[in-house]
Amino acid sequence: MTRWGMVIDLDRCTGCAACEVACKAENNIPTVSLEEADAGRTMSWMKVSTHVHGDFPDTSMDFLPRPCMHCDNPPCIKVCPVRATYIDAEGIVGQIYPRCIGCRYCANACPYTVKYFNWYGPDWAASERQYLNPDVSPRDRGVIEKCTFCHHRLQKAREDARVEGRELREQDYQPACAEVCPTGAIVFGNLDDPTHRVAELKDDARATRIMEDLGTQPKVYYLQARG
Amino acid sequence: MGSTRREFLWTVGAAATAVGLRWSQDVVWEADVLDDPGWAPGVEERFNSACLICPSRCGISARVVDGRLVRLVGSPLHPMNRGGICPRGIAGVQMLYHPDRVIHPLARVGARGAGEWREISADDALDQVSERLQALRAGGRPEALAVLSGFSAASMQDVWQQFLRSYGSPNYVADDYYDGSSAVMALMHGIRRAPSYDLERADFVLSFGAPLFESWWSPLQAFVAYADPGAERPARPRFVQVDTRFSRTAARAHEWVGIRPGTHAVLAMGMAYVLIRDELYDAAFVARHVSGFEDFTDARGQRREGYRSLVMRRYRTEEVSAVTGVPVERITSLARALARSEAPVVVPGSDVLHAPNGLLAGVAVHSLNVLMGRVNRAGGVMFGSDAPVEALPTPAADATSRAGLARQPVLNGMPPFGDGDRPVRFAEAMAAADGPEIDTLLLYYANPLASSARPEAWRQALDRIPFVVSFSPFLDETASQADLVLPDLLPYERWQDAPGSPTYPYATWGLVRPVVEPPEGPVHTGDAVLALARRLGGPMAQSLPFESFEALVRARARGLFRAGRGMLLGDAFEREQHRAMEARGWWLAEHTEFEAFWDALVDRGGWTDLFYDTTDPAGIAGTSDGRIELLPRALDEALREVAPERALHVDVGPTDDGGTHDFPLRLIPYRVSTLSSGTVALERWLAEQPGLFPDVHWVPWVEVAPATASDLGFDDDTLVWVVSAQGRYRARVKVFPGTAPENVCAPYGLRHADGELANPLALLDGSTDVLTGLPSWFSTFVRLERA
Amino acid sequence: MRSDVAEKLAKLPPDERVLLRPLVETSRGFYVGAGILAAITVWGMIAYILQVKYGLGRTGLNRPGYWGIYIICFVFFIGISHAGTLISAILRVSKAEWRRSITRSAELITVLVIGFGAIQPIVDLGRPDRVLNVILHAQWRSPLLWDVISIGLYFVSCTIYLYLPLLPDLAIIRDSGIKAPRLYRFVAAGYRDTPPQRARLERAIGILSIVVIPIAVSVHTVIGWIFAMTLRPMWHSTIFGPYFVMGAIYSGIAAILVAMVILRRVYRLQDYFKAVHFDYLGRLLLVLSVLWFYFTFAEYLTAFYGGEPGEMRTFWAKLTGPFAIPFWMMVAGCFIIPFALMSRRATRTPKGTLIAGIAVVIGMWLERYNIVVPTSVNPRWELETIGHYFPSWIELSIMSATFSGFVLLYMLATKLVPIVSIWEIKEGRAMVKEVADRIAGYSGSLA
Ligand SMILES: Nc1nc2c(c(=O)[nH]1)N[C@H]1C(S)=C(S)[C@@H](COP(=O)(O)OP(=O)(O)OC[C@H]3O[C@@H](n4cnc5c(=O)[nH]c(N)nc54)[C@H](O)[C@@H]3O)O[C@H]1N2
Ligand SMILES: Nc1nc2c(c(=O)[nH]1)N[C@H]1C(S)=C(S)[C@@H](COP(=O)(O)OP(=O)(O)OC[C@H]3O[C@@H](n4cnc5c(=O)[nH]c(N)nc54)[C@H](O)[C@@H]3O)O[C@H]1N2
Ligand code: SF4
Ligand code: SF4
Ligand code: SF4
Ligand code: SF4
Ligand code: SF4
Ligand SMILES: [Mo]
Repeated sequence: MTRWGMVIDLDRCTGCAACEVACKAENNIPTVSLEEADAGRTMSWMKVSTHVHGDFPDTSMDFLPRPCMHCDNPPCIKVCPVRATYIDAEGIVGQIYPRCIGCRYCANACPYTVKYFNWYGPDWAASERQYLNPDVSPRDRGVIEKCTFCHHRLQKAREDARVEGRELREQDYQPACAEVCPTGAIVFGNLDDPTHRVAELKDDARATRIMEDLGTQPKVYYLQARG
Repeated sequence: MGSTRREFLWTVGAAATAVGLRWSQDVVWEADVLDDPGWAPGVEERFNSACLICPSRCGISARVVDGRLVRLVGSPLHPMNRGGICPRGIAGVQMLYHPDRVIHPLARVGARGAGEWREISADDALDQVSERLQALRAGGRPEALAVLSGFSAASMQDVWQQFLRSYGSPNYVADDYYDGSSAVMALMHGIRRAPSYDLERADFVLSFGAPLFESWWSPLQAFVAYADPGAERPARPRFVQVDTRFSRTAARAHEWVGIRPGTHAVLAMGMAYVLIRDELYDAAFVARHVSGFEDFTDARGQRREGYRSLVMRRYRTEEVSAVTGVPVERITSLARALARSEAPVVVPGSDVLHAPNGLLAGVAVHSLNVLMGRVNRAGGVMFGSDAPVEALPTPAADATSRAGLARQPVLNGMPPFGDGDRPVRFAEAMAAADGPEIDTLLLYYANPLASSARPEAWRQALDRIPFVVSFSPFLDETASQADLVLPDLLPYERWQDAPGSPTYPYATWGLVRPVVEPPEGPVHTGDAVLALARRLGGPMAQSLPFESFEALVRARARGLFRAGRGMLLGDAFEREQHRAMEARGWWLAEHTEFEAFWDALVDRGGWTDLFYDTTDPAGIAGTSDGRIELLPRALDEALREVAPERALHVDVGPTDDGGTHDFPLRLIPYRVSTLSSGTVALERWLAEQPGLFPDVHWVPWVEVAPATASDLGFDDDTLVWVVSAQGRYRARVKVFPGTAPENVCAPYGLRHADGELANPLALLDGSTDVLTGLPSWFSTFVRLERA
Repeated sequence: MRSDVAEKLAKLPPDERVLLRPLVETSRGFYVGAGILAAITVWGMIAYILQVKYGLGRTGLNRPGYWGIYIICFVFFIGISHAGTLISAILRVSKAEWRRSITRSAELITVLVIGFGAIQPIVDLGRPDRVLNVILHAQWRSPLLWDVISIGLYFVSCTIYLYLPLLPDLAIIRDSGIKAPRLYRFVAAGYRDTPPQRARLERAIGILSIVVIPIAVSVHTVIGWIFAMTLRPMWHSTIFGPYFVMGAIYSGIAAILVAMVILRRVYRLQDYFKAVHFDYLGRLLLVLSVLWFYFTFAEYLTAFYGGEPGEMRTFWAKLTGPFAIPFWMMVAGCFIIPFALMSRRATRTPKGTLIAGIAVVIGMWLERYNIVVPTSVNPRWELETIGHYFPSWIELSIMSATFSGFVLLYMLATKLVPIVSIWEIKEGRAMVKEVADRIAGYSGSLA
C-alpha cells in the first residue's frame, strides 16, 4: 500500500516561510493586491500560522506550517456536488479544476481551512508569466484550489522511474516545500513503507495531528516535544 | 391594436434576451480563459549557482525550462546551506522577471527627476561615460570621479578599486555591510577581520541581539546549525536569544531573554561577574592567551585595574539586573549554562555596536568568548580565511592617476577604529557649499536617497554633482534622479564570484553563473567597467586586461586550482571525506588540467575548504605579545584622546534617559528577513507575509504593545504617523504582546502600495559612536499619531 | 376598464365580482409600484452581470468567509416558501375550514419564492457556466445534491399543487370572458367543473397535499443538513434539520400574514381576510415563536454546555462578540416582539400581526445570517485567523432585486389569478351544514 504523508517537526521549524514561498512558486499560485489581501483573499496552500502566548517579556510563539492534511477521511470530498475534489488510491486529495462549479462548500467543510478560492482570475504581468511552472496548470477564476502534495512531481517521478526501469525511491518524490526547508523540518514519504522516514516519525512519541479527534485522519503529522 | 402592441413588446423582449444571453456568454467566459502560454514539453536544465541577494551567498540550484528560470532551490552541494534556501532566495525569480525592471539604458531628457528618458544603446551609454571620464582626466581632475558601491561581492569590489586606482581617484565609497565587528577583533586579537562562528559544532549559542534567523549575515548558517538537517546530531545546540525585540529568532530560540534596549553589554558583564565569582571561566586559557585580566601597571607606570577587579567591583548581579531588567537568577543561570556547555559560543549582534557606546559594548560582549576560551576552537569563534583566488594584476598608474590619488578624498577624517556609515559622511561632506568638487558619481547597488539616514544631505549632494550614473536594474529613487541609467544584469544572468558569509569559518567561494539568456539592453556592470577601462586605455586598460567579467572570474579561479587544498562543492559524503583527509594532512588533486577544473567548478557551483586548523596559535591573536587583550591598549589610548569621559568595560550601557513627554516611545528599527534589498519593493510572494505575522501583508507596519495601543486608542491596522524630532513616516499598527510597552519595533525598507517608503532610519537622532562612526540605532524616541 | 369587461364583471356573482376585479382593474399605484420594483430588479440583474463579468471578487466574500448574502437569502427564501404549501397542505389535510380564503395567496408565495430561493446558490457559484455539472457529474453524497433534488421535487409538486386548485377558478375566468380568452382557455385545460371532474380534482388535491408535506419537510431539513454535515462549530448539530423546518414554517407564516394584510388593504378583501384569520394565524405564530425559542435555546445551551473551545469561539462571537447586534435583533424579531404581540388577543389584529410578521421576517433573515456568517468566519482551527465579512454593493443589489423581483411577480400574479380561491370559498359556504355535522360528530352524542 502507498499512503503519501508528511511529518513536520515543529521543534526544528523556524517559521522562516521558505516552504510557503516555495509552494507559491512551484504551484503557480497567484498573488493578490493589498486591497484583496486586506479582504482576506491571499492564497497560500502552505501557510505558516502562529500562536502567541504571554506579554513582554514572557512572550512565546509557536509556528505551525499548514498544508492540506490530505485526510484519509476527508470531510471536504463528501460534500462536493460534482466530485471536483477526490481522494486517490494513494491518499492524495486532489481537485479537478475544470469541473469545479465554485460553490465553496468543500472550503466550508474543511475543518483545517486549507482551501482557497479564486475570487478573480490570476493576474500575471507578461514578464511574470515566464516563471510559471509548466508542470502545474494555472487555475482560472471561480474555482477552488489547495495543496496537492505536489502531485505533478509524483507523476514526473513515476515517469522517470518507469523510463529507467526501476522502483520509485523515497527521494524521487519530494514536494517543493520539503525540498527547500532549510532545517529539514518537513519530511515526506509513504507512511506505509517502513523504509521511509515518515513511517517511523509518525509513530514518534512527539507526533500529533491537528484535531485528530474529528476523525478526519489527517496524513500530516506534527512533531513537538510536550511540556 | 392592443394585441399588436403586445406582440411588439414580446418580440423586443425576446430579442433583447437572446442578445443578452449571447453577449454574456462571449464577454464573460470566453474572455476569461487563460491565454495559452504555448507550453510544449520543455527542455529542462538545472544549474548550480550562488545566491547574491544577501551576504549569506548560499549555493542555489536553478531549474530552467526552455530558457525560462522557473524555480530556485538550495544547492545540496553547498556546505553551508546544504540544500536549504530562504524565502528571499526563492523569490529571486520574481526579482528577475519583475515587471518594473529597466531593460534599456536610459539617458535623461528632461529635468533631473522629471521621469523623461530616452532609450539608448549600451554602446552609446558607455561612450557617454567614457567621454566624460576621458575629459576629466584630460583636465587633470581624475579625483572628481566618485563611486558609491553598496553591495559588492568580491571581485566587483576589486574591479571598482582597481579601476579607480588606475584612473586616479581616491573616492571609492563602499557600504559593504560594515558592522564594526572587525574593529573589535582588531583591537582585542590584533586580527582585522570579521569574526566567524563555528555554529555547526557549537552546542550552546548565546546571541546578543543578532537576528540569527532573520537578517543575520547568514540566516542559513544559523538554520543549519539549529536543526542540523540530515546529520541528526543526538542533541541539537541550545539557542538563547538576548534581545529587546521579540523577533523570529527570539521566538524560535530555546530561550528568549527580553532585555532593556542598549543594555546587552551590561548583561554580558553581569554574566562575566558570575563566571569569575564562581570560577567558571576557562582559567587555563585566560592565563595562557589573555592579557589585561589581572591588575597591571601600564606603559605610563600607572597601576591599572584589570578586567577581573573591574567586573567584580562594578557588575554585581543585583546592579546588572536593575539596569537590564533581567532577574538575578536568570543572569546566574545563563552564566552557568554557558559554563556547563562543552562548546558554547557568544554571538554579538552587529547592533550591539550601533550605539553611542557601541565599540565598548562590542568589546564587552566578545569578552565572554575570551573568558570562556572559545576562540580558535571547534564550535567557537574563528578567523576564517579568504578563498585563495588569483590576485588581480597590480594596478598600473600614470602621472595623472598618481596626482589624483594624492589629492584629498571626500571621505577624510576617519573615526579612529572604524569606517561606519560612509555614505552619510560622504553626502554630508558633499552637501556643504564649499565642499569638494565631484563631477561624476557612479552608483553601483546603491540607492542612497532611499537607504541613507540622511536623504536630505544626499539630495543636496546630488545637486552638486553634474553627472550621475546609476547601474541599478530598477528605477529606484536615486536612479530616477540620475542622468544616465545603465542597468546591470540580474544575478541569474551574469558571472560573478560569491565568497561565503564572513560568519562562516570555512573558506568558500561560490560561483554565480548565468542560467538564462539576458535580454538585449542591460550590461553586466562588471563588463561595463572593463569596457570603460578598454575605452580609456592607458593604465586603466593595463590594470584590467580582461575581455569579459567571465574571463576575470575564470582567471581568479586559477588560484583555487593551484592552491593544493580544498574541494569542489560536493555532497555530504564528499565533504566528510575531504574534511577527514585534510585533517590528516592529505590532499588529492582531482583535476590536472585547469579547463577540466573550471568546467567542474562551474558544474558544482563553487569551491570550499572545510578544514580549519584549530591548533594554529595565529588563530588566537596577532598582537605583539600573542595574547588577546581584554583591555585593548589602543582603545584605551584612543579613549583618552577622543572620549576621556568614557572608560573601557564601564561605559557599555545606554546613554539616554528614556522617552520624553513629546516622544515617549523608543524606536527599535529592524530588518525583516524577507527584504532582499533595503530599497527595492518586496517581491510579491514575500509581500504577502513579510514578517512574523500571518495577517500582516504588503504595507509597512510598526509593532506596538497591547497596553500602549489601547492607551492610544489604536487597533491592528490603524494607520499612524511615526514621528520623531527628525521626521515622520506612515505605517500600520500591529498590536503585538511581544513588544515592550515603552518600545515601537519598526521594520525598515518597506513600502506602501504607491511606492512611498517607510524609512525609520531617516527618523534617527543622528548620534554616532565617535570611535567607529557607526550610527546609533536604538536611541531615538518617537510618538505615534493617527494618520 | 373597458366597458364590455365591466359589463361582464357586473354580471358575475358577488364572490367572482370582488375577487376577479383585480384581474381587470389596475390602479395607477400598481403601475408606479411595479415600475419601481422592476427598476430595482433590473438594477440587481445588472449587478449580477457585473459579478459574472469580473468574478466573485466583486462580493465581500473571502477566506474563511466563504458564504454570505446569497446563501443567507437561499436559506431564507426557501424557508419562506414553506408558507404556502405546508400551511395550506396541513390545513387542508386537517380540514381546517378557515383556511379557504388564505390557501391561494400562500401557495402563490411558495411557488414564486422557491424560484427566487433556488437561483441564489447559482448566483453564488464561482462558475455558473458549469452549473450543469451538478447533473453531469452528480456526486450523491453531497447534501448540496440532495438539495437540488428535493428543491426540484418541491418546486414541481408545489407548482402542481398551486395549479390544481387553480383549475376551477381558471375555468371561471375563461367562462366569464373578462380576460385573455385564448390564454385562459389554454390554462384551464378543458376543466368544466362537472361533478366527476370536481371529484377527481379533489382527490388529486387530497393526495398532493399529503405528498407535499414530507417533501416540504425534506427541503428545509436538507438545507439544514448542508450546514450540519460539516464539522464546523455551531453548524455540526443534529437539531438543524427540525430547527430549519420549524424556522421555515415560522417565517412562511409571517410572510403570509404580511401579504394578507397588504392584499386585504389594496384589493379590499376585508370580507375574505377576516379578523378570525388573523387571530388564528396569530395564534399559530405565537406557538411557533415559542417553538423557535425552544429550539434556539436548546441549540445554544447544548453548544454552551459542551464548552468545546472551537464551538465556544463562535458561540461568544454571536452572543457578545461582533455578531451581538444581529444576534439580539434576531431574538427580538423572532421571539420578543411576536410573542408580546401575539400572546394578547387585543394585538392579534391585522395591524398587530403585520408588525409581528415583519419582525419575524426580519428576525428570520437575521437568523440565517447568524447561522451562515459567524461560523463561516470563525474557522474551527484555533491558529487560523478569524475573518470578517461585509457584503458589497453588488450583493446588496442582488438581494434587493430578489426581494423586489419576488414582490413584483407576486403583484403580477394577482393580475392573472384570483388571490382568494373562489371555488373553495363557495364550496365552504355550501358545506356549512356538513361541517357543523362533522364538528358535532367529533364529540359524538351524549345520548
Ligand atoms: N534579509 C536581509 N538580510 C540582510 C540584509 C538585507 O538587506 N536583507 N542586509 C545585510 C546588511 S546590509 C546588514 S548591515 C545586515 C544588518 O544586520 P543586523 O544589523 O544584524 O540586522 P537588523 O535586523 O537591522 O538588526 C537589528 C536587530 O537588533 C535587535 N535589537 C533591538 N534593540 C537592540 C538593542 O538595544 N541593542 C542591540 N544590540 N540589539 C537590539 C533587534 O531585535 C534586531 O533584530 O544584514 C544583512 N542581512
Ligand atoms: N530603507 C532602508 N534603508 C536602509 C536599510 C534598509 O534596509 N532599508 N539598510 C541600511 C543598511 S544596513 C545598508 S548596508 C544600506 C544599504 O543601502 P544601499 O547601499 O542603498 O543598498 P540597497 O538598498 O540594498 O540596494 C540599492 C540598489 O541596488 C539595486 N540593485 C538590486 N539588484 C542589483 C543588481 O543586481 N545589480 C546592481 N547593479 N544593482 C542592483 C537596487 O535597485 C537597489 O535600489 O542601507 C541602509 N539604509
Ligand atoms: S521552511 Fe521549514 S523551517 Fe521554514 S517555516 Fe517551513 S517548515 Fe518551518
Ligand atoms: S485538510 Fe481539508 S481540504 Fe485537505 S483533505 Fe482534509 S478536509 Fe480536505
Ligand atoms: S467549490 Fe468546487 S470542489 Fe468545492 S465543493 Fe464546490 S464544486 Fe466541489
Ligand atoms: S506539498 Fe506541494 S502543494 Fe502541498 S504545501 Fe507542499 S509545496 Fe505546496
Ligand atoms: S540567505 Fe541570503 S544568500 Fe541565502 S538564499 Fe537567502 S537571500 Fe540568498
Ligand atoms: Mo548594511
